Amino acid sequence: MTTEKSALLLIGSAKPAGHSTSEALGNYLLAQLEKAGFTPTTYHVHRALRTPARSQELLTAVDQSDLLILAFPLYVDSLPYLVINALELIAAHRQAQRRPTPTRFVALANCGFPEADQNETALAICREFARQSGLAWAGGLALGQGGAISGRPLAAVGGMARHVMCALDLTADALALGEPVPAAAVTLMAKPMMPAFFYTLMGNLGWHLQARTQGAFGHLRAQPLTDALEV
Amino acid sequence: MKALILDGDLAGQTTTALMRTCLVEILNQMGWQVQPLVLHAEKVAYCLGCFECWIKTPGLCRIDDEGRAVAAAVIHSDLVIYLTPITFGGYSSELKKAIDRIIGLVSPFFAKIDGEVHHQARYDHYPRMLGVGILPQPDPTQAAIFAKLIERNAINLHAPAYATLVVDETQARHVMQPQLQILIEQVTEKVMVY
Repeated sequence: MTTEKSALLLIGSAKPAGHSTSEALGNYLLAQLEKAGFTPTTYHVHRALRTPARSQELLTAVDQSDLLILAFPLYVDSLPYLVINALELIAAHRQAQRRPTPTRFVALANCGFPEADQNETALAICREFARQSGLAWAGGLALGQGGAISGRPLAAVGGMARHVMCALDLTADALALGEPVPAAAVTLMAKPMMPAFFYTLMGNLGWHLQARTQGAFGHLRAQPLTDALEV
Repeated sequence: MKALILDGDLAGQTTTALMRTCLVEILNQMGWQVQPLVLHAEKVAYCLGCFECWIKTPGLCRIDDEGRAVAAAVIHSDLVIYLTPITFGGYSSELKKAIDRIIGLVSPFFAKIDGEVHHQARYDHYPRMLGVGILPQPDPTQAAIFAKLIERNAINLHAPAYATLVVDETQARHVMQPQLQILIEQVTEKVMVY
């Protein structure tokens, strides 16, 4: 068991605390790492970048951590703006140091599409960030069908998330031993929680139901910009 | 025909300035009406991930700022050029902030495209896409990530055609100008210019 190690979780969703799948995944992994002897710390990127003082606090926290975990949602095939902004700051900060700390870096990507491999480009960007920032790339995990978790703690999701928890358990065990994310964890995490056709069916139904609560039922295919403003 | 240049240079930097000038000149010579947008000079807030542009005010972001105007400019263009200093293989934060705000241009509903699930189109017409990335020096790994990102975005944003150009800052203007012209001709093939 590893002791006296620190793990920093950076949550890349712009949603309020407690509402994102990124946070659910990150929290679960962080809890397993804590059991393995890591001291956990969590930052939400939208709060951490709010002021220069908070940004500096984040940079210091990265320097002081043995393991940096980035949990983020896929936005248009890549990382969200806030996360890229944070990574730009972290990279510039570490590139300015003669000997940046040998922090390890692991990324957890999730998307609302059924296919986990739609996160591939975003994880490639994470890997390149690690290389440019002098972080030791420990690997990435990709989850599809993130809408099935929808921000709930994994334990509350039930049986369909069992393999997701198992993937994170394997990952925590490996990271605690100083090893990279195991291939078995990558495979398990990418496993669909339900058949793709059922997920898309439920997803499409879900949009209608959410629109009903927002007073937009029947208008989801509107084209408001057809004749609208230009810059 | 209208071309929009979304310039993702970061504030205080001039990485993309020469390329932007070059693009405007070439497109003007080809008869295009060009609108260059230097994004760091625009008031664009970041996407909150609330999905209100899908389920509350379909097609319209809840944030009433220049981000809405960027989305309108995109959908009213025939060609959108994503111009950016390549950042870890992807877009700069400035460009990504604007791109995150245009998801209302597609529908929330899922559909299968070439065996993979994507969001359905909201509009009948989408612009062609040209990704132009700038690196400080040649870097095949970052260039490959960037090309893949443009390819993926073209699928998800329903671009009828796309192309990618990665240049490094050491490349002279007379070298990149012919490359650009050929790429623009390829990506806009069959688009009539009046």
